[in-house]
Amino acid sequence: MNKRILFKSFRLAFRAKKRVFAFIIIYAVLYILVGKTVEGPNIWESIPYLFMAGIVATVYAVLISQFRRRDIAILKCVSWANSEIILLLIGEVVIVATSAFLLVFQASVEIIGIVGYFGTNAVLDGIHDLIVIRSDAMFVTLFFIIVLQLPGLVLAQWRATRIPPMRALREE
Amino acid sequence: MTIPIIQVQDVNKEYGKGKKTVAALKDINIEIQKGEFIAVVGPSGCGKSTLLHVMSGLEAPTSGRALLDGVDVTLISERDLPKVRAQKIGFVFQAFLLIEDLTAYENIEAVLWPNNELKKEKLEAMSFEVLREVDMLERKDHFPRQLSGGEQQRIAIARALVNKPPILFCDEPTGNLDSKTGETVMKSIARIAKEREMTVVLVTHNEELTKYAKKVIHMKDGAIT
Repeated sequence: MNKRILFKSFRLAFRAKKRVFAFIIIYAVLYILVGKTVEGPNIWESIPYLFMAGIVATVYAVLISQFRRRDIAILKCVSWANSEIILLLIGEVVIVATSAFLLVFQASVEIIGIVGYFGTNAVLDGIHDLIVIRSDAMFVTLFFIIVLQLPGLVLAQWRATRIPPMRALREE
Repeated sequence: MTIPIIQVQDVNKEYGKGKKTVAALKDINIEIQKGEFIAVVGPSGCGKSTLLHVMSGLEAPTSGRALLDGVDVTLISERDLPKVRAQKIGFVFQAFLLIEDLTAYENIEAVLWPNNELKKEKLEAMSFEVLREVDMLERKDHFPRQLSGGEQQRIAIARALVNKPPILFCDEPTGNLDSKTGETVMKSIARIAKEREMTVVLVTHNEELTKYAKKVIHMKDGAIT
């Protein structure tokens, strides 16, 4: 695996600021929704949210392959192989999912810290119940989200490999 | 006698099917020697860009062969074509084709990213070398949208050269530039090609640019005239 392309893809992802930050927030909300049901008494309640997360993950992967189609065609013109293009797309998806996980994780830790420092009250309890996810549920959710990326990535890969280098020239 | 670096043999290219078939290239035969600067000239729609795409393996011909350095690009699989492009070809396009989310420097360096064997220092040295050659060192951290047309084309030239390919394909490189900037860009291409002993195939509708070429090929209606 070409680590250089993977790391460059992280940087490239954050250059499309609006798209990336919008999806980090969407993913973070999904983490919380799935995480809350995972830590609940009945794990089956998480199925609708997992379904939603699957759709969002798939849409995001397909969106990236759509938004990046010109870049993909250009990179193919300058000698990139399909496997390298796919790594670029994987990197963009992975960095968004990971950033959302870290955001929720950080928020949980901060809120627990604040509650511990100030003690409980109605407002802090409300925020705590709304956002904080138990550590075991957090990592189970991360596993679910990672698995849910796969169909979208396969679809994005299929779309990316079908983009001919000539597309870059025809679109100009 | 040396083997030509580019050979186009009995190439035909058709678009469409049945009655709507359009012949873009008709029985094209060309041989280009190493280090030559060739201009392919003709009116818009005469098939000169299609010829360049076939020569470079970007498009497959309907019939015939295109050989680069003895390698038949029409027979190479989609999987292996990137390797051939990386080793043998540099492209300069009319529309510059830079990636908007990458800086000028990154656009150049991106060509080398797939090469795992290149160390970071070597990669940077190669990228800076071509940036210096096109005199764009000071603008390296700018994004394409922050550069003028001429500057973008110079970055595109640097990107085409960074792999040190023996062949440079230029498709209307001055088409989107004013005449003065176009002249500067063409002088850069001619100077660098001479210094590096590169083979250049320049496709243009502008007869004036043929002054840079050693040999001129005229095309009309998909055929060499």
